[in-house]
Amino acid sequence: MAKIPKMSVTNNVGGSPVAAIVTILVLAGLFLFPRFVASPYALHIMILFFLSTIMGESWNILGGYTGQYSVGHAAYFGVGAYATMMLMQFRQIPPWYGVWGGMAAVVVVALVIGSICFRLRGPYFVLASIAVAEILRLTAMNLKELTNGAEGILATELPPFTIGGTVVTDFLTKVPFYYIGLVMALLTIVVTWGVQRSKLGYCFQAIREDQDAAHSLGISLTLYKNVALIISALLTSLAGSFYAIYIGFIDPPTVLALDISVQIVLICIVGGIGTIFGPVVGAMVLVPLSEALRSNLIARAIFATGLVSEESGVGNFLKENLAHAHALIYGILVVVVILFMPDGVLGFFRKLAARKAKS
Amino acid sequence: MMTRKVFAMLCALCLTLPGLASAANVKIGFINSITGPEAPIGENLTNGVTLALEDLKKKGISVELMKEDDTGKPQISMSAMEKLAGQGVAGVVGPYTSACANAVAKLSEKYKVPIIVPAAAKEEITRQGFKWVYRLNAPADVYASVLIDAALTLGKPKTVAFIYENTDFGTSTTKTAKAYVARKGIQVVADEPYSKGSPDYRSTLTKIKAKNPDLVFMVSYVADAILLMRQAREIGLQPQAFLGGGAGFTTVQFAKEKEISNNVLSCTQWTEDVSWPGARDFGKRYKAKFGKEPTYHAACAYEAMMIMAETAAKAGGDREKTRSGLKSGQWNGIMGEVKFVDYAGFTNQNNHTMLVQQTMNGTFETVYPAKFATKKAVYPFPKWK
Amino acid sequence: MTVFLQSLISGILIGGVYALIGIGLTIIFGVMRVINFAHGDIMMVGMYLTYNLFTLAGIDPFVSILITIPLMFLFGGLLQKLFINRVLNALPQNQILLTIGLGLIMSNTMMLIYTSDYKILTTSYSSSSINVFGISVSEPLAISFIITAVITLLLYWFLMKTDTGQAIRATAQDREAAQLMGINVKRMSIIAFGLGASLAGTAGALVSPTYYIFPQIGSTFTLKAFVITVLGGMGSVIGATLGGIIIGVAESLGAVYISSGWKDVVVFVLFLLVLLFKPAGLMGKSRM
Repeated sequence: MAKIPKMSVTNNVGGSPVAAIVTILVLAGLFLFPRFVASPYALHIMILFFLSTIMGESWNILGGYTGQYSVGHAAYFGVGAYATMMLMQFRQIPPWYGVWGGMAAVVVVALVIGSICFRLRGPYFVLASIAVAEILRLTAMNLKELTNGAEGILATELPPFTIGGTVVTDFLTKVPFYYIGLVMALLTIVVTWGVQRSKLGYCFQAIREDQDAAHSLGISLTLYKNVALIISALLTSLAGSFYAIYIGFIDPPTVLALDISVQIVLICIVGGIGTIFGPVVGAMVLVPLSEALRSNLIARAIFATGLVSEESGVGNFLKENLAHAHALIYGILVVVVILFMPDGVLGFFRKLAARKAKS
Repeated sequence: MMTRKVFAMLCALCLTLPGLASAANVKIGFINSITGPEAPIGENLTNGVTLALEDLKKKGISVELMKEDDTGKPQISMSAMEKLAGQGVAGVVGPYTSACANAVAKLSEKYKVPIIVPAAAKEEITRQGFKWVYRLNAPADVYASVLIDAALTLGKPKTVAFIYENTDFGTSTTKTAKAYVARKGIQVVADEPYSKGSPDYRSTLTKIKAKNPDLVFMVSYVADAILLMRQAREIGLQPQAFLGGGAGFTTVQFAKEKEISNNVLSCTQWTEDVSWPGARDFGKRYKAKFGKEPTYHAACAYEAMMIMAETAAKAGGDREKTRSGLKSGQWNGIMGEVKFVDYAGFTNQNNHTMLVQQTMNGTFETVYPAKFATKKAVYPFPKWK
Repeated sequence: MTVFLQSLISGILIGGVYALIGIGLTIIFGVMRVINFAHGDIMMVGMYLTYNLFTLAGIDPFVSILITIPLMFLFGGLLQKLFINRVLNALPQNQILLTIGLGLIMSNTMMLIYTSDYKILTTSYSSSSINVFGISVSEPLAISFIITAVITLLLYWFLMKTDTGQAIRATAQDREAAQLMGINVKRMSIIAFGLGASLAGTAGALVSPTYYIFPQIGSTFTLKAFVITVLGGMGSVIGATLGGIIIGVAESLGAVYISSGWKDVVVFVLFLLVLLFKPAGLMGKSRM
């Protein structure tokens, strides 16, 4: 018999004044961060963190709250990325309009995918979601006239963003990207919070807990599943568009591959699905971890503690290879989380806190 | 009287001897596919650079090499370039693949860091009017023209079939080859792009076999080159010649598969047999140090690093001075005469002659153009055993 | 006409190997209802095992399956005992994610050890073919097809005629009833996973003379394996066999008549059609 985890229907952020003050401090800190930290590398890490948060929160609405585990979200990410890039490079439409093109396209794509996949349940739904994402990827590869195929699309120059006659930013530093990322991440968190408190959220969670019971209560499965999907897809496509203009280069393996879909799910699983801040926690764990591995920070830390000497065989091996090991660590993390922390890091600490409160 | 003349001569000599006054120290970035599917070729570039660093040391130039692995992915190449730009390198050598080089060229121009692309084929890289991007190797249009010209001197092919990977490298080389064959009156009977990592080409090759082409023109990296030829043998594809567009077809790994690599013609930027100064010695030295023959990538990387480091040293590590040094300089080394000029829509492109080699019994023999050829080419392609 | 026959034959031969991968997956699903996303990566492990046996000990890939089968069986059993067993009662999503995680660990460990260079196995017959009425039949593929057929027949005999085999089928049909009948279902799960893993590993061994080997090759095969098992019907060995051959042929003909780039789309579209219109597959569920 499958065990259904207990998840509370309302996860309040907390109405206490302490929580409010902490929130304000954190927000202030985030907004002022670029003033005090000039290092492009630090900004880059924060931007990746925001990106992961956006991706995780968007998936959460469909997967965490409505219980529809799509492992094909790369489809929406890629559509957003490609639409924005294609409009920018081939039609000279600036990305702040192109984003809307991406969102329009993704609504159509989501409805089509929904009509195919929502007839299926459980593992079959998962498999179907993977299949449609792969079809999209292969289509992007093959329709060379439209998408440049495997060569991908390289952004030449971002047009400066002007309001009235004044140039707000010409995108030459990372700072504008930082703020865009921050605002988008906050937007997704607010949307999730709004969904959770509304009747929409109630219906989503009812569907997650027991589809048939929800149906018998009069909740239209098709309607609510599709609404959840569209919200999720729109936010994911925003993430895709942002990624495209930030990195400046996309091709099918970068934005439409299964890896992206798995990464998105991972962010939520590690953090804790079905909670507002789960994906944030997941992003906080995964982004620094992968960067620390890539830049050999972890290897250096290990040497610094003296556990392993830098010159030894093991030391050399670590130095050479730990940088490439981040996917391996991801895998280990997933296994550990699923086996020992099925409610994610957030859920694990919540349970600990609850247990402490009881004793 | 005599002593004054001698003294003057000695002074002049001292002034012209480079780097004697002080050992120059330059920071050069090196972006390469150290891991990833193109790693076997990337290894050649790394080794070429290693030999260059040795020779530079002998000339009194000490290079602080900042290596970056792009794993063959353009986005990683781009962040490597950003990183290097922020670390104060005087210039960059690399990347290897066409896709990465194209992406990085744009950044090189943006951050104003001089870059020498050693071996990437895609024409657009030096067709964008970039002031900071220099390319040592001949671009894709020469890959095509040299192979087709060689075939035309050996026989009278009338039809050609293209099979190529659908990446930047494959697509751009095939595009320019198709234009060239049209000018030479050869008809294209098949155009089959394939996705890397789908190792069953039998159906595609069967389709091509049915069209009975005189030439089969292939553009692939190593693994696919081997599989394509293996499966071509299996299904009995029998054109007048197999033409390999560089990369995978010029590697030792490919040549060693004697049953299937024999008599395949491939275009190359360099072979050991050319009469360019130091070429043969380079080949011998490479073999002695690394235990295998170099591909043209090693020679390209070597020369690119030599040029970049010498120019940067002369410019005292200043990027703008290095750039103008590259623009105005002239070199004559293992890659022959090198001068970065603007011609036929290219900017800062070295007008390099390519060669055609043929795999014979596990090694490469230069067969075209005549002035560099060491052996007569085997044509048409003998019947598969 | 020759083109059609040629690609048909190639498709059938490749399909045989696909069938082997599919059968392994379907047994695992049939007995444990676990969707094993690491199946392709297990096959990849088998490929590297074969590669090492060939390059280090000079053992021919086809001969080495005698070693690969038991080793991969142990590997699979271990995976089941240590990891899969713990999530048999968890949400299917968690099971999937666990297997995805295991797959990531496998492929990346291989990448660390062997780097992601493409490795090619060259045997004396790697590019040989036999000419049958103007159609060239790839020798290595033909041999793998024959070996696959033999293995499938042996497997079928095992499942139908032996006690353990029947116990496995009973567990697949109704786990609780089987347990009540005194069958050690935990042991059956271990055997089933071991069997699935050894079949995947064998498929890898059979295919290694003609493909190239690299750590990420697993994911393509996992997806194909799923298409095959759904097509054939989750839990049906005959279904997986048929499914494998159908997919092999669809791919092959797709490459010739549409294009090499679109052939995988053909497979996925077929997959979606089956999921939508006949989700129980060709042979229906839970019948082995």
